[in-house]
Amino acid sequence: MRNIGSNIAHRIWKWWFNNRTVIETLKRIVGAEYVLSSSDDVAVYKHDATPLFSGTPDAVVLPRTTFEIQEVVKYAAEAGIPVIARGSGSSLSAGTVPIHGGIVLSLTRMDQIKEINPAEMLAVVEPGVTTAELASAAVKLGLLYPPDPGSKIISTMGGNVATSAGGLRGLKYGVTRNYVLGLEVVLGTGEVIRTGGRLWKDVAGYDLTRLLTGSEGTLGIITEITVALVPNSAQSLNGIAYFASLKEASLAVNQIIATGLLPATLEFLDQKCIIAVDEYANLNLDRSAGALLLFGDDGELDIVKKHMELMEKACLETGGFGIEIATDITRSEQLLEARRCSLPALSRLAPTLLLEDVGVPRPYLAEMVEKINLVADKYQVICATFGHAGDGNLHPTIAFDESDPDARTRALAAFDEIFSLAISFGGSISGEHGVGAAKLPWLKDQIGAEQVALLKRIKFAFDPKGILNPGKLGS
Amino acid sequence: MKKISPQLLSPCISCGYCLSACPTYQLTKDERSSPRGRISLMKEFNAGSIDATNELFVEQSSFCLGCRACEPVCPAGVQYGALLEEWREVTWSGKNLPLRIRGLRIAVTMTPIIRALGRIRRVKQNKPNPPLGSDFLMLGCVERVLYPQLSRVIAKRFPSIVINDDQGCCGALHSHNGAPTKGHEMALSLGQDLPGRIVSTAGGCAAHLSAEIGREKVIEFSEFVLEKILAGELTIERPVYIEGKIARIGLQDSCHLRNGMAVFQQPREILSRLGTFIDLKSSKDCCGAAGTYAIMRPHDSAAVLSKKLVEIEAADLDFLVTLNPGCQRQLEHAPNLRKSTVRVLHIVELLELALSTQTLEDSH
Repeated sequence: MRNIGSNIAHRIWKWWFNNRTVIETLKRIVGAEYVLSSSDDVAVYKHDATPLFSGTPDAVVLPRTTFEIQEVVKYAAEAGIPVIARGSGSSLSAGTVPIHGGIVLSLTRMDQIKEINPAEMLAVVEPGVTTAELASAAVKLGLLYPPDPGSKIISTMGGNVATSAGGLRGLKYGVTRNYVLGLEVVLGTGEVIRTGGRLWKDVAGYDLTRLLTGSEGTLGIITEITVALVPNSAQSLNGIAYFASLKEASLAVNQIIATGLLPATLEFLDQKCIIAVDEYANLNLDRSAGALLLFGDDGELDIVKKHMELMEKACLETGGFGIEIATDITRSEQLLEARRCSLPALSRLAPTLLLEDVGVPRPYLAEMVEKINLVADKYQVICATFGHAGDGNLHPTIAFDESDPDARTRALAAFDEIFSLAISFGGSISGEHGVGAAKLPWLKDQIGAEQVALLKRIKFAFDPKGILNPGKLGS
Repeated sequence: MKKISPQLLSPCISCGYCLSACPTYQLTKDERSSPRGRISLMKEFNAGSIDATNELFVEQSSFCLGCRACEPVCPAGVQYGALLEEWREVTWSGKNLPLRIRGLRIAVTMTPIIRALGRIRRVKQNKPNPPLGSDFLMLGCVERVLYPQLSRVIAKRFPSIVINDDQGCCGALHSHNGAPTKGHEMALSLGQDLPGRIVSTAGGCAAHLSAEIGREKVIEFSEFVLEKILAGELTIERPVYIEGKIARIGLQDSCHLRNGMAVFQQPREILSRLGTFIDLKSSKDCCGAAGTYAIMRPHDSAAVLSKKLVEIEAADLDFLVTLNPGCQRQLEHAPNLRKSTVRVLHIVELLELALSTQTLEDSH
């Protein structure tokens, strides 16, 4: 899986880098302080949150303005040097790993919320603002930015747009792409364009905003984002129910939807996740249960209460037990946090976590989770599954020790088979983390050769020199 | 050559959840000064790609405050504090040990001199022959010299606590500054000097001691006071008044107390009884004192502190309470706060203020 990545082109721009004028030029653009080039300085930018992938940047640049980015990209395009945009480096698909080297453009210093406008119900932010910073600034004005990826305390808005990040409220509120109104982007040529704007309705031109959302830094560097906000709901309630297995929990999810509800939150964890999370957060969870379903909704209090009752009933009908409805905001937050911290908490099982992000249409959820267990048994791997049950997005996580070659082979084989399963159900290899370098080999299996070829043609239009995040989508 | 324990490094899965909690990352927004980046550097060191004298490696081990704010937010349970101790042992050894650290390390081991200075500053003493099962006050090296009034208050209000100045340093300074083995030995020896439960008025010392000699042997002062209140042995009858109004009180958590010992609720409960407690959003953030940090890196220390000052000034406080002498000194000397009306007090002093007005009322 690790990219071999040294070819003739690689050597040519390597030569450019050995020629010190590259670093000097970059320093002239952003200031010497914000260009890192010695091997130890760039070492910390080799990885993101994805295991097994690394690539050494030739330089790291921390720009502050769109103009600086434009100058860097123009220069890189001329010199044929890869440019990889990076936020907090919390990518789970090796989306920000510079697998072919080049310039890592860290956008974390562009961290200003430029505007939150209650009259227009929108916000304008720089790419380095974290999702949580935007969310809490919006809440102060009675507004809600709905997408809330598990890593929201660190994930940046630039990264969220680049992957169309999802989160815990996807079923009712949708994902990042449903909220992006406009973007400012530096193309691979160094040109700056503004797509969309401040309007919900705007059909002038192709919908480039939507195309760039989820483009994983391969079409342009996002330098400013305008997102829509919604009114913050009066109340939200959350509760949990336990089940014998994820299969029963999945049936409960289908039952809830069949009741005619579209709740804000429907998340589940299997037993391995319950134990790991409880170990970290001491939430008094029932560690003997096979699965936990987290359900919740927001809106007017009496309506939310009614929805909670209906969901409770659906859970009981499908074998749910030990139901707890959080009575205060603290407990409610704790229950949501249990789901958010699932992935890192699982690292208690083994040093390396291979995380999937597959999605299946909801009716196949129960069958999918059963088959995942069969795959885990077949390859004798520890697989813990959690996910966004409401929207069919699953995170089977294989925990293993990467220093054991046999364990690694089995983990990768299981990883591969789970992708095939998802595709066979008409699902996706990635719901919200992005394809990145980690899942690119499976992209063709899902979308077909013709579409991959089209992606390449689109990529060429935005980035004719192919410098933006090479080795990812469409390159 | 010495490596950093791989079993401490391997739990980190690079998720980055620590970034938002790290004060130095928040200053620079540069991965090199984040806990995750620093762990990457330690891994590079273990792999042999950088050596112990590497400029960045040394600089980052010193730039880190050691506040351990990254620990409670780490779902993978990485023990960053322990890693930092090993890291500084690697970078601050032999001739690479900064001169000021060398001096401080020697100073705190000179028990007779500290004792003499403490006596000049009239540190309280009592009970030469303590009964079995007593609580012992840990006097603290810095505290004895800078804030001797704390021991006098404790002697007056809690006469059952044994105060004996024949005790050494707890070794926290050594452990946090490149000499963890010596720091461990010093903690054990202090544990022997004080053969009971040790009451500490310094959050940093308490956290170090409890990690070295056992949590059950150490009780921090606010834990101790709350225990007395709940047992009915201490009553706070009325809050502190300032010009006829109930005092507005803010808190500066002690980082190691909060992040290492999980003690943060107790001082809040006490302060709520002493006045109107304002739980500032930045209470939990490091004030930049960070042990020797304020001495070693005054510029960075001031930058870390300045992030908090706006909120503190806007809160219109009467008192800002600390739980650790280092924080006390840092905040007392903050230029903006010196100009304002907020008084920086150790929790012992504020408690005394409440108890003494109470006694005054009684005597009338």
